[in-house]
Amino acid sequence: MSKADTAEFEAAALPHLHDLFRTARRLVGDRARAEDVVQEVYLQAWKSFHRFKSGTNCRAWLFKILVNTLHHYRRKWFNVRFVKEEERTLENTVTYAPPVPEKLTDEEVLAALDQVPVEFRTVVVLADVEEFSYKEIAHMLEIPIGTVMSRLSRGRKLLRELLGGMASAYGIRKTTEEGQSA
Amino acid sequence: MKTISFSKGACEKILRYLDSYISGELLVETNHEVLQHLEQCPACSQEMENRVRVRNSLRNAVREEAVPVDLEQKVRRRIHDSQPARLWRMGFSLRWMSAVAALVALSAGAWIALHKQQTQNEYIATLSARLPGILQVGLRDHIHCAVFRKYPKNPPTFAQMAESMGPQYAGLVPLVKEKVSDGYRIILAHRCSFQGRNYIHMVLKGTSALVSLVITKKNSGESLANVQLAPVLQAVGVPLYRGGAEPFQVAGFETPAYLAFLISDLAEENNIQLAATLAPGVHAFLNNL
Repeated sequence: MSKADTAEFEAAALPHLHDLFRTARRLVGDRARAEDVVQEVYLQAWKSFHRFKSGTNCRAWLFKILVNTLHHYRRKWFNVRFVKEEERTLENTVTYAPPVPEKLTDEEVLAALDQVPVEFRTVVVLADVEEFSYKEIAHMLEIPIGTVMSRLSRGRKLLRELLGGMASAYGIRKTTEEGQSA
Repeated sequence: MKTISFSKGACEKILRYLDSYISGELLVETNHEVLQHLEQCPACSQEMENRVRVRNSLRNAVREEAVPVDLEQKVRRRIHDSQPARLWRMGFSLRWMSAVAALVALSAGAWIALHKQQTQNEYIATLSARLPGILQVGLRDHIHCAVFRKYPKNPPTFAQMAESMGPQYAGLVPLVKEKVSDGYRIILAHRCSFQGRNYIHMVLKGTSALVSLVITKKNSGESLANVQLAPVLQAVGVPLYRGGAEPFQVAGFETPAYLAFLISDLAEENNIQLAATLAPGVHAFLNNL
């Protein structure tokens, strides 16, 4: 790879550093690990940059690498055995949730998000924060669009419930433990 | 996305598709119907606002996370650090391939050169064998040095030739130039060696002939005395000896210290004639050394 390749890569990939870091931060739990993950993402991206098609969505490509890297790191760090999540029907969301307080601090929101099981949290962050489409998320996670929709609905609902002080009533904490360190 | 209609159980359906509505993933028609329903239904509208507020709060909170100031620098360093290894690998493979290619080329070149050398030497040996031993000396250098040679487009200048001959023999260049007719030009004058013997060598090019004047110091006991004398002997005052190995003709003469040969692909008479033209002057020159 030439200096021109390096410059091209940096110009295409580095503008997404902030987005990748904040997503990694929410999905791995702490900043130090998020830093490691993001560096690894860039290294992997750099190594496979020749496969990246110019003109396609570089941001989505980097996030796909992030998702794969996170998957790898989680297994390494937590020895996580991913429980095949039963994709529940949308009935859960077809209810009116108690109103969420209008004034929420960032800390409260993030604390609630961190309690949402990582598989739902991933879809919620990718859709609601990073604003990827269902199709893009399905491609990144290699799951059907229907699964993206159900995980997003469930993740949002859990978040609303947590923020509405309903966590205990819905057994959120138990679900969180199952999802993170079975 | 499915197109949905709100007839029966409209609120339940709205709630079911509310997340896709918020994400902007519904078809335009469906979107329009949801919007219409929300305008008419305070409960669903309240739920929608609730969800949008959570989504917006989440978006703002996550985006507030500051990136470590040195992360970009770390990433750049990782990219640059990974580069030398990649380049080294690439460089190594390129160097390796170059080495192999060079070796192949060298082997092929060496083989061709060796083969060519063997062929030339065999040719020289075969032709020389047809001549009396002492005449072979001249013929061998002519074939080796004058026949199997690629000449530059422009011959060297007389000054360059004189320099190549060295001070002792430089005077031969103007002497030969003066003696030969306008039909010949000197294209080479130098010192050379072949099979362990040193030569003073001048090459003349005629219209269709390549001529060498080859001079070499006698080794102990060497003489042309046993070679057939040429018929023009008396005319020039210098004994001229001759021999032929098609397509080459050799005429020789000697001084006490030197053997001199005129070798060409001219006809025998023409070669002897040219030798007779040069022999007195060259003979005198060598005698004066």
